[in-house]
Amino acid sequence: MQVSPRPTVLLAVLGVLGAVLATGGPATAGEDAAPQVVRVGTEGVYPPFTYRDPDTNELTGFDVEVMRAIGKEAGWDLRFVEAPFDSLFPALDSRRIDVIANQVTINPERTARYLFSTPYTYSHGVIVTAKDTDDITSLADLKGRTTAQTASSNWAQVAKDAGAKVQYVQDFGPGVQLVEQGRVDAIVNDNIAVLDYLATSGNDRVKIAGDAGDEVLEQALAFRQSDPQLQQEADAAIKTLTDDGTLATISEKYFGADVTVPGGATDVDIGASDSRTTWEVVKDTAWPMFVGLVKGNIPLTICSFVIGMVLAVAAALARLSSIRVLDRIARAYISIIRGTPLVVQLFIVFFGLPAIGIDLDPYPAAIVALSLNVGGYAAEVVRASILSVPRGQYEAATVIGMDYWQSMRRIVLPQAARIAVPPLGNTLLSLIKDTALASLVLVPELFREAQVTAAATTEYLPLYTMAALYFWVVCYLVSLAQGPLERRLSRYAT
Amino acid sequence: MTDMIEVRGLEKSFGDHHVLRGVDFAAESGTVTVLLGPSGSGKTTILRSMNVLETPDAGVVRIGDASVDFTAKPDRRAIAALRSRSGMVFQAHNLFPHKTVLGNLVEGPVQVQKRPVDEAAADARTLLAQVGLAGREGSYPSQLSGGQQQRVGIARALALRPEVLLLDEPTSALDPELVGEVLAVIRDLAAENWTLVIVTHEVRFARDVADQVLFLDEGVVVERGGAEVLTDPREERTKRFLSRVLDAG
Repeated sequence: MQVSPRPTVLLAVLGVLGAVLATGGPATAGEDAAPQVVRVGTEGVYPPFTYRDPDTNELTGFDVEVMRAIGKEAGWDLRFVEAPFDSLFPALDSRRIDVIANQVTINPERTARYLFSTPYTYSHGVIVTAKDTDDITSLADLKGRTTAQTASSNWAQVAKDAGAKVQYVQDFGPGVQLVEQGRVDAIVNDNIAVLDYLATSGNDRVKIAGDAGDEVLEQALAFRQSDPQLQQEADAAIKTLTDDGTLATISEKYFGADVTVPGGATDVDIGASDSRTTWEVVKDTAWPMFVGLVKGNIPLTICSFVIGMVLAVAAALARLSSIRVLDRIARAYISIIRGTPLVVQLFIVFFGLPAIGIDLDPYPAAIVALSLNVGGYAAEVVRASILSVPRGQYEAATVIGMDYWQSMRRIVLPQAARIAVPPLGNTLLSLIKDTALASLVLVPELFREAQVTAAATTEYLPLYTMAALYFWVVCYLVSLAQGPLERRLSRYAT
Repeated sequence: MTDMIEVRGLEKSFGDHHVLRGVDFAAESGTVTVLLGPSGSGKTTILRSMNVLETPDAGVVRIGDASVDFTAKPDRRAIAALRSRSGMVFQAHNLFPHKTVLGNLVEGPVQVQKRPVDEAAADARTLLAQVGLAGREGSYPSQLSGGQQQRVGIARALALRPEVLLLDEPTSALDPELVGEVLAVIRDLAAENWTLVIVTHEVRFARDVADQVLFLDEGVVVERGGAEVLTDPREERTKRFLSRVLDAG
């Protein structure tokens, strides 16, 4: 049916959208208030540098403690933000964090774009291979082989320069899995990180096969170029903390050696930090994962679905409108949403839009991206359902005096809903699962919790299986509710 | 006495097809006007122009004190006022399937006319009794027979307390054995001096109730008069049509 929505209706819909966007206003860093708030980006899944303590679930690690000491010395109010390594630099660029404390190695490319503090770690690269690989002992042997690296890590470049093909992984842990499974030949990484991993995991299926060159690498805090004041304050703090032995003490605690001065990292001694059984790990992580589900995935799903449905109805009505420009806009929207990956949409909203002044916090950003996605997919379902309501229904509503919006709301949409419920149920199930992607834009949720613990304990299979189980249970409960809802909506049909 | 309904110079084209070519008629309050003619003659379009389900290209429609001139682009408020003067009974009843019989009847009074629910429901029960469906308030349309559905359709149109009732082939979609019960209800309305405009092929019924008959062909009124048009037509086209319809019936 060709019906034209009145402009006021569309304005109302846009208003709702605007209100949603507005709730995600830019985070105020409180530049003028004392003490200065400094947001610190760190992975939280890279022991012993940055990870959650398995017993307390508190963020800790060498980089985290160094950062806390620097923050205290500099008089900063620190706010830690956990995100995958590859999200940290975009987050710094888009002013969601102010500094990265995550073993960031100084290199020319980064120096061109960022400010670095005085280094607080000196290390060198090593090559990790499977235990029975014996033809890789130096960088020269990597030519033509495949290594697993995180995309933005310095080691990816080292491996490429050596002539290796690089396969990108999200964290060090999954890379080790690939080496064990023989899917890649090696990993190039920091000697300290590798030694810690081997000691912590007790994994004897991989080994350090050799040094990755003689170069000593320096790791430091990374700042935006527009924040020289933060860099100077950090440098002053690092000098004080080096002179009074604080950094050395932190380093001794983690590595049994002082890695904060050049030449101190040749012989590190790392003790095992997690001795729990698989069952204990699973048991201890079940609750944080449940909290992630209740505080992350479920509210994300509910908000995004509700807003997405509003968008879907608006887009469907625009598609059915006799006003051609509305139809065009709705077509373009639906086509873009269905033709691009959700993860790209998430990254555009969160990391991209700040470039044009739209700066959303993680939660609103995830809701905006997921809502737009759901709206685009559901719009065609809603449109087809509206078209399935006979034209006579609209006419009957018109002759009893209803306006366009009344007849839609009271007569057409309730009948369309009955048709739309089964396909929209599928949309909802997809959305629930898609919320696992929200951790990529810094929203804490169930799967993120699983990843954090898995990185620290290497219990990949049990933890990811448990994450899958959580999702499955939620989806199953939702699908159970679908039957009664369909019956209720169909109660009038014989 | 002024006419309740006045239609002047009604023109309507669908693309190249000129459906109405200057139709005029008037009807006094309390009278029954029957629109008759072969299919495609424009009679349904006249009815649908009277409540602006179709927008005529030119002409004036007045019901009671609400008048719309379609020669200029009419504004929405004038159309709403005109619509509120009439109730419409559709060939396919078009009841709201997701609402009960009572829900169908109170929808317009409560949602559009903003009357209190209790008052609208009491009115609705009276109307249901009048069309012989007392006690079926809680049924869904799908639980009723075709004749019952159409009687609910009539009651729904009356629930808005219109000045005029427009009936678009109210019995054409019904099984033959169900036609009588619906015609009986319409006969009652005529007896109660409702102003009715009916498009129908039920010639015998029309003879009984019509005060005015308009015979249409190709968008013009070919012949008009009282019920005698149906028994003793002057125009050749009317005669041919009537003999065909009566033979078929």
